[in-house]
Amino acid sequence: MQVIGWALAAGVTLFAAGVQNPPRSDGAALFRERCADCHGADAKGARGPDLTRLWMNDGADERAMSTIRTGVAGSIMPPSSAPDEEIRAIVAYLRSVSVAKAEAISGNATSGEAVFAGNCAQCHRINGRGGYLGPDLSRIAGSQSNQVLTRAIRDASASFASGYEPVTLVTRDGRQIRGTRKAEDAFSIQIMDMQGRLRGYEKGDLRTVTRDQKSLMPDFGTDRLSDSSLDDLLAYLAKFRIQPARRAGDTSGDGR
Amino acid sequence: MCVIASAASVFGHAQEEGVTNVTYQDMLNGLKNPSAWLTYSGDYSGQRHSPLKQITPDNAHRLSAQWSFQTETMARGRGFEATPLLIDGVLYVTGPNNFAWALHAKTGRPFWRYRRDLPNNLTYGASVPVNRGFGALGDRLFMTTLDAHLLALDMKTGSVLWDVELADYKIGHSATVAPLVVKDKVIVGISGGDYPTRGFLDAYEPATGKRIWRFYTVPAPGEPGSETWPDSPELLTRGGGGTWVTGSYDPESNTVYWGTGNPNPDYYGDERKGDNLYTCSLIAMDPDTGRLKWHFQFTPHDLHDWDANHVPVLAEITIGGQRRKVVMVANRNGFFYVLDRSTGKLLLGKPFTDTSWARELGPDGRPIVVNQGTRGCIPDNWGSTNFMPPSFDPVLGLLFVTARETCATFVPEKQVITPGRFSMGGTVRRELDKAYGALRAIDASTGERRWEFKFTTPSFAGVLSTASGVVIGGDNEGNLMAFDARTGEHLWHYQTGYPIWGGAPMTYLLDGRQYLVIGSGSTIMAFALPR
Repeated sequence: MQVIGWALAAGVTLFAAGVQNPPRSDGAALFRERCADCHGADAKGARGPDLTRLWMNDGADERAMSTIRTGVAGSIMPPSSAPDEEIRAIVAYLRSVSVAKAEAISGNATSGEAVFAGNCAQCHRINGRGGYLGPDLSRIAGSQSNQVLTRAIRDASASFASGYEPVTLVTRDGRQIRGTRKAEDAFSIQIMDMQGRLRGYEKGDLRTVTRDQKSLMPDFGTDRLSDSSLDDLLAYLAKFRIQPARRAGDTSGDGR
Repeated sequence: MCVIASAASVFGHAQEEGVTNVTYQDMLNGLKNPSAWLTYSGDYSGQRHSPLKQITPDNAHRLSAQWSFQTETMARGRGFEATPLLIDGVLYVTGPNNFAWALHAKTGRPFWRYRRDLPNNLTYGASVPVNRGFGALGDRLFMTTLDAHLLALDMKTGSVLWDVELADYKIGHSATVAPLVVKDKVIVGISGGDYPTRGFLDAYEPATGKRIWRFYTVPAPGEPGSETWPDSPELLTRGGGGTWVTGSYDPESNTVYWGTGNPNPDYYGDERKGDNLYTCSLIAMDPDTGRLKWHFQFTPHDLHDWDANHVPVLAEITIGGQRRKVVMVANRNGFFYVLDRSTGKLLLGKPFTDTSWARELGPDGRPIVVNQGTRGCIPDNWGSTNFMPPSFDPVLGLLFVTARETCATFVPEKQVITPGRFSMGGTVRRELDKAYGALRAIDASTGERRWEFKFTTPSFAGVLSTASGVVIGGDNEGNLMAFDARTGEHLWHYQTGYPIWGGAPMTYLLDGRQYLVIGSGSTIMAFALPR
């Protein structure tokens, strides 16, 4: 709570400074002074969320303005009383460093839906349907470029989403348990097992804990998924990029 | 119910059978399965009494901290008011500001987190940003929100499956209650009775969020109960009567019991002359239809914000030499009530605090009021107890309740009524120097006080009891405490660092160990005996 109190006080101080001096227009410097502590010097996120992906969705300017102005209730993101000009400068800076809006899609979304159902839905969910082992992909196209998505599909083990790292546990009696890691500390590990159950283990009860290099997801090379099927799949995922019915700030379903 | 063979085989405790896919039958079993805690009170009876016997009066002094989970959010000046659910080794917890978590019940480590993006113009929800917990059915969790919505979350991920509006938060509504799932219905209440709003109790379809029925706690013009209000249709649209504490359920008679809140304006009653049904009442409802079976009004024409938002405690006790099925409430107005739960008739009503508001009830259950509080001392606006759950030991026949001894003068004042603005109708002068609190054991058959343990200030902690004869309570100074249920002897305490306020302890058996869990401030913590 002290953090919020401090942040609110800081907001008031900034406002007071703004009243005395003409509004500043150096968005990059304003960002570094006021936002970087939580959102990272490169805006790619630290304690607070990554802000460089906001512009993949429509209406990002307005949403960013509004969030900075009003803060996020119940979080440490405080409301700002800074002049509109300064908030606009910060938003302009964020837009300038943001990942470009997703490129035009050439594939067929309807065919892509069948590709998803046949290859992905066992482990991934879209809008409440599908499996649980992998990340929910309902909004993935709003936060990842086609290039990144293509790599993730073609070479699944190249990187793992946080909360979905594959692990193998061996119990004292030799039983092997595979799953994705939701949390871990020196003494315990919490996973979703292959049956989709949330399970915690104390390391004292385990013989080994292995962070697997190989994803639970198979590599979808061109032999398994043609370029045109991949384009169709990307087109299908892109359909869900903007979800006005969903509240922009909800953080759920990302396993963390 | 699915049996978790894998967990049992790993840890060699085959007697522990978790619940994976919550069914109505699981909830009927309630705490008979001590490795599950599936509703706010642990079971439908509202007794908050566990059959576990590992922690006893003899060994409770050895209780030690096992883990803490810092939630990073809190409701300043209030408490961590939720009771976690335990399903298949995972604690599902809601917190202030509509955060929620799935925690490994053995280590407190998180599987997932959820946070609702709330609007910045909340009304009641802004001043009281609390939540009292999840309801559950199947693989879904149900949660109410400060902008007066009801959500279904996916148990595996915390993703929102559906989201429906209960009421318009902008006029003063909020929702903080832990939903009660009865059969195939999610029953939820509403907050906001300190604003010009009209309370209700609702039932929703778990699969879709479609509303099945609504019962307004303030009747419409011409409906039964409307004769207890002035002849003013406008007044009946904002008469209060919130339903923000989880009720209880009697499967045998298929009856849901639920408490209702204060009439509005809270302190100023001149423009709402009459008893103001169904405010400050216990309502007995048919959960299938939303039909009112009976009501019992504790405080007719309340002028003190003495909501009857309490957990109704269902039990079978001997009273006047006869075995009776009863519903019990220790009320904010200072009386301990025992009602026949099929008729709502008063069987016993005795003060459990030193109130000078009324010292006896008439045969019909109406209080004989001697002092409305405009001249001198009666229980303050928080009452002789409040929404913190009591517990009941059916073997000892004792109800354990956090009692508040307070003294206040009420200053009612006519107020301009504006939607979305508090309408308390006056102020309260509280004399805090004389106030104190106590955990009290009340003999349910007689209403007599068996023992008490005094707290420094009027406290707000809920209570848990166990079959081993241990009572767990807490105080505003932050102590979590264990007592001998028979004698009230203090056995153990732990300073949590923030008032234990509104929340109540819960307990469960996991891998052969009994855990005790409480929320305090921004933190959830667990205790157990050393290995």
